[in-house]
Amino acid sequence: MQFWWTYKTEWHAVASWTWDAHDETCGICRMAFDGCCTDCKLPGDDCPLIWGACNHAFHLHCILKWVNSQTSQAHCPMCRREWQFKE
Amino acid sequence: MTVDALSSVCNLGVLDSLSQSSIYEILEAWNSFCLITETIVEGDDVNLSTFYSKFQSDVSSLCKFGLRSLVEEQFLKCLQDMLEKHSAPKFWKNFDAYNDVPHAEMNDRSMQEDEVELLLCKALEEISREKQYQEKCLLMLVNSLQLCQEDNTSVEGRHLDMEKIFFSKYRLIVSSVLMTAMPRQFTEILHQYFKGRLEELSTIMAGDYEENDESQDNSQPRNMDIDGIYDQKKTLENKLVSNIGMVVHNLRNLGFTSITEDAYASTIFLLLKDKVYDLAGDDYRTSVLESIKGWIQAVPLQFLRALLDYLGDSMSYLSPKSTKSPLASTPSSCFQKSGKPSEGIVRWQLRLEYFAYETLQDLRISKLFEIIVDYPDSAPAIEDLKQCLEYTGQHSKLVGSFISALKYRLLTAGASTNDILHQYVSTIKALRTIDPAGVFLEAVGEPIREYLRGRKDTIKCIVTMLTDGTGGNNNGPGSGDSLLEELNRDEENQESNSLDDDINTDDKQTWIDIQRWEPDPVEADPSKGSRYKRKVDVLGMIVGIIGSKDQLINEYRVMLAEKLLNKTDYDIDTEIRTLELLKIHFGESSMQKCEIMLNDLIDSKRTNTNVKTTINQLSQTGAESREREVSFEVIDATIISSNFWPPIQDEDVKIPEPVDQLLSDYAKRFHEIKTPRKLLWKKNLGTVKLELEFEDKTLQFTVTPVHASIIMQFQEQTSWTTKNLAAAIGVPVDTLQRRINFWISKGIVAESLGADSNDHVYTLVDDMADGGKSVTNNEALVADDDAESSVASVEDQLRKEMAVYEKFITGMLTNIGNMALERIHNSLKIFCSTHPVYDKSIQQLQSFLSGLVAEEKLEFRDGTYYLKK
Repeated sequence: MQFWWTYKTEWHAVASWTWDAHDETCGICRMAFDGCCTDCKLPGDDCPLIWGACNHAFHLHCILKWVNSQTSQAHCPMCRREWQFKE
Repeated sequence: MTVDALSSVCNLGVLDSLSQSSIYEILEAWNSFCLITETIVEGDDVNLSTFYSKFQSDVSSLCKFGLRSLVEEQFLKCLQDMLEKHSAPKFWKNFDAYNDVPHAEMNDRSMQEDEVELLLCKALEEISREKQYQEKCLLMLVNSLQLCQEDNTSVEGRHLDMEKIFFSKYRLIVSSVLMTAMPRQFTEILHQYFKGRLEELSTIMAGDYEENDESQDNSQPRNMDIDGIYDQKKTLENKLVSNIGMVVHNLRNLGFTSITEDAYASTIFLLLKDKVYDLAGDDYRTSVLESIKGWIQAVPLQFLRALLDYLGDSMSYLSPKSTKSPLASTPSSCFQKSGKPSEGIVRWQLRLEYFAYETLQDLRISKLFEIIVDYPDSAPAIEDLKQCLEYTGQHSKLVGSFISALKYRLLTAGASTNDILHQYVSTIKALRTIDPAGVFLEAVGEPIREYLRGRKDTIKCIVTMLTDGTGGNNNGPGSGDSLLEELNRDEENQESNSLDDDINTDDKQTWIDIQRWEPDPVEADPSKGSRYKRKVDVLGMIVGIIGSKDQLINEYRVMLAEKLLNKTDYDIDTEIRTLELLKIHFGESSMQKCEIMLNDLIDSKRTNTNVKTTINQLSQTGAESREREVSFEVIDATIISSNFWPPIQDEDVKIPEPVDQLLSDYAKRFHEIKTPRKLLWKKNLGTVKLELEFEDKTLQFTVTPVHASIIMQFQEQTSWTTKNLAAAIGVPVDTLQRRINFWISKGIVAESLGADSNDHVYTLVDDMADGGKSVTNNEALVADDDAESSVASVEDQLRKEMAVYEKFITGMLTNIGNMALERIHNSLKIFCSTHPVYDKSIQQLQSFLSGLVAEEKLEFRDGTYYLKK
């Protein structure tokens, strides 16, 4: 007895996405990376992550706020190195 | 006797001055007076006038000697003796036939109404005749006394006074004599009589009343034919009324005023009660109040009007005959009614209407449970009840009776939570009409809420009811989407409310609002706060069952997750609509997570299309795509932001190699599009629509990925042992056994004992025709996953979340010994304020603690928790 799948078969799978940041929460807002920063409502594309040259990740909105609030050169909030966006 | 009487009555001094002749004169006059009195009193057809002159002279001579009081007394005594010995026994003898008949039997025999009527009329007429005769005699005495008094004083007023005194004395004698001898069943006879008459009358009048209705419909003037019938009816009716009037009149004359009135009043009430029961019955779909009112107007009031009119007329007609003074002929206050018939009628009407309201109200209250069961249809009955209650104000009766009905019929283990909830909602809606302030609703709803809180599936049922149009109710279609409708309506209400708020800034409107303020009804429980806090809002009252909206939202989220994960298309229009409605009620922020979940679905759809089109372009260039059995066409994916979803059951499963390959390609492509985001497959989740093509047929199934993986294994190898198959799929043996049952039940896989008793062998069924069930059809066979949900239930979640506090709780109990629920709750609130912030409600804590009790970690005695030793 043999059978085959036909072309009509549909496989609806489920997946979850992750930023794969090797860390749970954003060091600035303490919210989960896979969540969103305090100002955002929707996670994912609307509230992306950004990595610094020091390999520390933050919510884009959070780090931008931080950088803009610094009068002189901004430093990474985690390691105090000069903040540079990772290329 | 005479001497005795003399000495007792007269001044002894006078006795000395009496000469022999005057004594003789007195004796003679006295004897003659006594004789004449006896004669005329006893005589039936004696011509009074023949004795009149002699009687008068006797009386005057006796009066001369100051024996006037003696004369009066003797005469009245004679009349009384006559009544006692003769008239009264004769009168009551008429009713002897019913003497020994017990109560119940009397009703059975129905007493041959005509016979009763005839008997009563005859007896009454007879005794009235006798009474009239005696009254004539009395009048003779009065006249004689007046004559001899005229010598001394001639004041007009005194004559009238004397007459009045005599007649009232006489009437007192008559009624007391009759009353003392009255047989017990006489009132019953009167009841029967009036009942018979009134029923007769009501049939005549009811016909009339209906006819009136018809003619109102036509609004045409009556033609001659109907007129003729009408007149005929009128005369029939008049005759009947005058007949009854005569009886009533006679009875009144005999001093039976109150008995009579009791009799016909109670008869009317009985009739009215029957009518109400007849009209109202078990039909709740029509309003009956108006027709009852109409009937009251048409029958009993018409009757009373006629009766009172008749009595009024007959009085003015009869009184000159019996007495000269109209004043003396007013036997009771009732006749004053006839002087002002309108007032009497109005009073009667109020009495009757009140009685009707009360009867209908009692009837409806006793059936309130049934009425509420078919609520939207039974709205007229509710409306009736409302009006009745406005009149009678017996709301507390409603509350008490309804609560006991609820406890007896609804709040039992046998009733499903859904039914209870539906009844609760209907109760809210129905009682909202009766009592917009919600005071009684508060009282009635409390037991239901209390009961529902004790049920485990309450929240689930509520959420299903709220969000699912048809789900959850077995009562058939139609009532399903009621709560959603409710939400819609409330939404509109809120809109209008917010409009109101805008106008409220206007001072004028504020002033109007203030003026419109009304105090709470007196029945309001002051501890429940003002009515403005207590707005009757169905959703609010439902949330009130659970205690907090958070629990409701959480449950909704779990259900929503379950639903979304099982979707194969991305169609979420109904969910969006429900969410929008829920947002209105619970606030945007509390629905945030649910919104993200829906948003994930929308995003997934877009991403899915994006991934698939780009990947197909790529794969078309590649040559190896041909070799694949399945192309990207078959793959769809829902990509979730797991942080915002309820915890998801993760279960490892090895899905078929080609699909697995496709999924990893898919994930790679996603990573390329959405760098640096990555996809993590939840391979056990999702839905597979399988179409399997056998040699002679194709079959369709809708199953979970695990099911699909199992059957795919049989593609390469038609026979598997349990252990091998479990290893191939990567699931525990027990899970496999549970899942494979689906394929066995479909007749595609057969189970047989293998070499090892623990190791069963599953074989693909060779000849599918034997399977019987596997008919070639396009109907999708859904693997009804025995409550295997992809999302952790709220209870599981709670247990997980509460596990943190378990250590705190056991620690406290070790130190303190025993603690009440409240105290544990408060202590946790104080101690766990920092890292694992304790934010659970007392109900959640209770259910967690009872879980610990069930696990035999704790003990629960007398309302406090102990550590289990």
